[in-house]
This record gives sequence, C-alpha cells and structure tokens, in this order.
Amino acid sequence: MEKLYISITEGLISGDNEKTEELTQQALESGLQAQDILDKALLKGMEIVGARFKNGEMYIPEVLKCARTMHCAIDVLAPYTSENDTNSRGSIVIGTVQGDLHDIGKNLVGMMCEGAGFEVIDLGIDIKAQEFVKAVEKNGADILAMSALLTTTMPKMVETLHMLEKAGCRENLKVMIGGAPVTEDFANEIGADGFAPNAASAVDKAKEFMEEIESPRAAA
Amino acid sequence: MRQLDPTTFRPRLRVLNREQMLSIHTAALEILEKTGFRIEHDPTLKRLVNSGCRRGEDGFVRMPSYLVEEALRSAPRCITLYDQAGHAFMPLTDGNFFYGTGSDTIFTYDAHTGERRRTVLKDTGNFARLVDALPNVSFSMSMGNPEDVPIERIYVHVFAEMVRESNKPIVFIADSGTDIEKIHQIACVVAGGEEALKEKPFILNYSEAISPLQFPRNVVEKLVFCAEKSIPICLPSGCNAGGGGPVTLAGALALGIAENFAGLVIHQLVNKGAPFLFAPNVSVLDMASSVVSYGAPEWSLTQAALADMRDELYGLPIWAFAGSTDSKILDAQAGAESMFSIITAMLCRANLIHDVAYMEFGSTSSLESLVLADELIAMSRQFVEGIPVNPSTLALEVVERVTKSSENATFLADEHTFENFKEAHFLPNLLDRRQYEVWAADGAEDTYTRCNNEARRILEEHRVEPKPTGILKEIESILSEQ
Repeated sequence: MEKLYISITEGLISGDNEKTEELTQQALESGLQAQDILDKALLKGMEIVGARFKNGEMYIPEVLKCARTMHCAIDVLAPYTSENDTNSRGSIVIGTVQGDLHDIGKNLVGMMCEGAGFEVIDLGIDIKAQEFVKAVEKNGADILAMSALLTTTMPKMVETLHMLEKAGCRENLKVMIGGAPVTEDFANEIGADGFAPNAASAVDKAKEFMEEIESPRAAA
Repeated sequence: MRQLDPTTFRPRLRVLNREQMLSIHTAALEILEKTGFRIEHDPTLKRLVNSGCRRGEDGFVRMPSYLVEEALRSAPRCITLYDQAGHAFMPLTDGNFFYGTGSDTIFTYDAHTGERRRTVLKDTGNFARLVDALPNVSFSMSMGNPEDVPIERIYVHVFAEMVRESNKPIVFIADSGTDIEKIHQIACVVAGGEEALKEKPFILNYSEAISPLQFPRNVVEKLVFCAEKSIPICLPSGCNAGGGGPVTLAGALALGIAENFAGLVIHQLVNKGAPFLFAPNVSVLDMASSVVSYGAPEWSLTQAALADMRDELYGLPIWAFAGSTDSKILDAQAGAESMFSIITAMLCRANLIHDVAYMEFGSTSSLESLVLADELIAMSRQFVEGIPVNPSTLALEVVERVTKSSENATFLADEHTFENFKEAHFLPNLLDRRQYEVWAADGAEDTYTRCNNEARRILEEHRVEPKPTGILKEIESILSEQ
C-alpha cells in the first residue's frame, strides 16, 4: 500500500494528470480511504513540491502544473469522500479590492493555495467591501485574502476590515493582504492578521493561520 | 581641396530583421481585429464604434487595422519636452536619448542613516533636486509613493514637490481624470497658462493599461484628458512575458503593441496630431520569485526589438526603461543590471528612458544608485558616440612630431593631447581607477560610499533656480483646495 502512495506522489510531482488519476482510482479500488490518499499521497506530494520550489529546484509553472494534477486526483476522490472528511485544509475567500483590476498576483496566490489543499473561493476583481463580507459569511471562510496593486485602492482594505467588524464576522476569520504597494507595517497598522510579499509566502501564511485556528479548537 | 571626413559610425543594436518585424506587427493587428479589448468608458466606446470598431457579444471591442494605420500617420514624429523655464530641452525623436527616474517606489534608502524605510514627500523632492543637478539625467518622475500624504492626493502632491525642487521636465502619474486636472492646473501656472503649456510642454503623463487587453475607466479618462489638452502621454501595459502576456517574447511583444495601439487609436480619435509615445513595456515575470524583473536581459531585448520596429515601421518617439535592478542593495548585481539596460537602451535608439535608480524591481529607490547611473550614462555615451575619424583625430602630424622629437617629447605632454583629451576619453568621477595604495590612503571607500558622499554633497550644495513667489503661492492655493 505504501508503494501505491509513493507512486501517486511521484505522479503528482511530475504533473502527470492521467497517471495520477489512474493510480488514485486504483488506490480506491484496493480499499484505501479517500482521506488517507489525500493526506498521505497527494498533500504529501504538494509538500514536496512546495519545498522544492523554495529551494529553487522547481519554478512556478511546474508548481501550477502539479496543482492541476492534484485537482484531477481530488475529482477522482470526490465521490468517495463522506461529509465527515475534511477534504480541504481550510477555505479562503480571495479577490482584488474595489477599484483594482490587476489580478495576476491574486490568481497566483489562489492557484498556489489550491495546490496546497485549500478550498479557494475566488471572487475575482474590483470587489466591494460588502461583497467580501457576504462571501465570508456565506462560505464560513477561515481566511480572507485581499490584494491591491494601486496605492489608491489600499484604503478599500481598511473599509473591508471595518465592515467585517461591523458584521460580527471578524473574530473567527484571519485576514491577509498583499500586492506591490502593501507592506507588513501597513498590514499591522490597519489590523490585518498578516501580510505576504508573494504567493509562496501567502501559502505559508495561510497554513500558519490554520494552525492558529485549529489549535484552540483542538484544545476545546 | 579638403575632402569630407568619413561619417562617424554610431554603434547601434539591431535585433530583428524586417520579416520578424512584419510578423509581430501583423500579429498585433490580428489581436486587435480578432480578440479585441475591453474598455470601461462609455463615451470612448461610442466613439470607437462610430469610427468603425465593432463590439462583440463578449463585450470585447474589435478594431480594424486601418484605424491603427491612420493613427500612426497622424501622431507626431517628434515630441519636444521643455524645461520648466520654457527652453527646448528634450527633442524626443530619432536616436536622441534622455534618461530619468521612475515613480511610486514604496521604500527608499535614507542617504543619512542608510536605512531602508517608507518613502515620504521629502524623498520625491530630494530625487528631483538630484535630477536637477545631474548632467546626464534629464527628467524627473516622483520616485516615491509617500506615506505622509493622504493617499487620494498623492499624485498632486508629488507633482508639486517636483515643481518646487527642479526645473527639468516632469513625467507624472495620476490616478484618474480628477487628480490629473489638478496636476494640469499646476503645470499651467508654471508654464504661464494653458496655451503656453500646450506650446511648450514640460510635462508628460505615464499611464498604464492592464494586460491582457483591458482599459479601465480611470485610465481612459486620463488618456482622453491628455489628448484633449495635448499633454504628451505614454500608455504602456504591464505585458510582461509569462504574467500579463505569453511567456515567449514574440507573443508578449505582439500583445504589448496591440494594447499600445488601442490606446493610440483612442487618443488620435479624440485629437488628431496630439503627442503620443510608442510605449509597450515587455519585461518578464520571473518564474521563481513571480516579480516583474527589472534586471532581465529580455526586457532590454524586447526594447531593442520595439526600437527596431519604431525605426522601420512606426516612426513615433519611443519610451523605454534603464538603470534599474532587482538587487536589494547597491552591489555588484545592481551595477551589472543597471549598466546592461543603460547601454542597450542607448544602443537601440530609445528616446525617453525611465526608471533609473529603481532597486528591488521598483519597490525601492536609491539616491546613490541615481548618482552612479549618471556616471554610467556618461560612460555609455562615450561608447555610443563612436570614433570620429578625421585628420585631427588621426593625428599623423602628432605621431611624426613626438617620435622624431629630439627633446624626449611624449604624447602625454603634447599640445594635441591637451586640446583633445576631455573629448577623446571618458573621465570618470565615481568609478575609481587609482592604484591600491592611493585608494587605501584616501579612505578605501567602496562604490556605495563614494556614491553616498556624492549624493549628499549635491543635495547640500545644489541650488535649484527658485520659482517666482507668485507661482509658488498659486500652487499652494491649488494644493489647499479640497
């Protein structure tokens, strides 16, 4: 069985959709649990991909290809997962703030987070504070990620944080912000929970958030 | 009869043949005709449709090629920028090159403490003052995106600061059709009225469409405003290969040109003959860090390709970048990358060359880097000027005189050397050529330290020709309006 996990992980790392789907199907047929396949083969593969990327052994297009392969495999698992299974690491609502239509960075963060096992609800571009709040409430999101490229749209981040507060959904939510003009100081100043200078750091930050969210849950 | 000197060959870079240029050009036109672009400005959308564009059900506007050809014919071949006192200063045409700073860095290095910190309004003033003093840097951009000014008024305030601290031309950023009006108002005060500014513009607007193929409302507002007021404008998009456009340079170039031409057509439909720079910006998205690289050789290559196309096909003045780096500090990487783009921009005949002294792909700026770039531009210029060949430079008489002299004559002490050495050689100021012992005895300063000393010296000593009090008062009152 271990061997099958390793093969799935290898398929994932090489970005081979067909092979990985096939092996995942095989694993299910041989009686392995969907949750185990996800944890022990797929997420493990993405951990390795993440580590290689950080070491400079892999480049972004390769990471994104692996992320796509991971999705194909998750689709194979989907019919076999029960409601009790946590088939994602956590959920992230993401978008560019009102007035900002620059979405390359935001898309990259979304794809990398998905690749790392998060459920990503991408609202797109030019998102009003109210729309962020609605999406967070509707999806019971763990994390909100906002991005801005134009300095002039940064105040919309502040507005969104105020609205979240007002709507009473700030307490169980982690907020991270990013984009070229956004700094760590700005994030602290406006009361966001974190800042990420690039997509890989955003994934790390999201994982950190989930640990913080889950540890009090575990304690309770 | 004295014969003509051989024409001096000016070294230049050429990176495309005619077939490649035509293929890229055709691809750009095809993008406009078949894929089209999105635009968020109803009056302009109407104008485009009335002029022959078609809006598809997908919301994309398709543009026929003849509109591009017409716009290329009506846009001027030379744009002259004036200094703030009304003297012709930068004729943007042919192979004339003018270097200047960039805009909107979030951080800068404090010249006194060496600390990397958030930019403040005073930094914009310092950069403008340095530009005013440096002989090889011709125009200012804001450099900083200051944290001590309300965000919605940043661009008006940095513009006023550059007016206060320099008399060279200004390339400015605005957010939308609202703040650009204020900036224009201030520029009119400086130039002595709207007509005077139109006659002798010292300002040029830099705006950006969004790749791929997107023209947001605020960008179109600025484009239309500049066309109406005849403010020279350049409108690149962020078509970096792999991010905003295809990863392959030819495709990214075609997309960048298409986007730039969509802007050109809109501009010329509003006001035929208004000044517009050819300005696609095609860098690369770094595949490891995901930043848009400012040290990439590909950007210099695409720039040279665009300059070839300008020379061969379009004829418009061309916009470029140089003197920037992805390095975080002024180190060997910074020097190598800055010089690479400075000399290639000059060799490829780019006209208006911005972003000098950007560090960290434009997130950080450095006064030291600007001072160094001034010297690197001079060094490149020495190379690009080529080798003048004529009786005086061949100096046959001098060879005869020195070699046959009975008095131990040397070339070094010859009158011909005395008369010509300053033009014949590049004489560095910051690049150190002294022997080790001399350098060590003089404090063993590295490049950064010498540049830092020079930047601080200039900021202390340089006096900017002050503007009349009346003008400054008027500017203050425009700034204090809500």
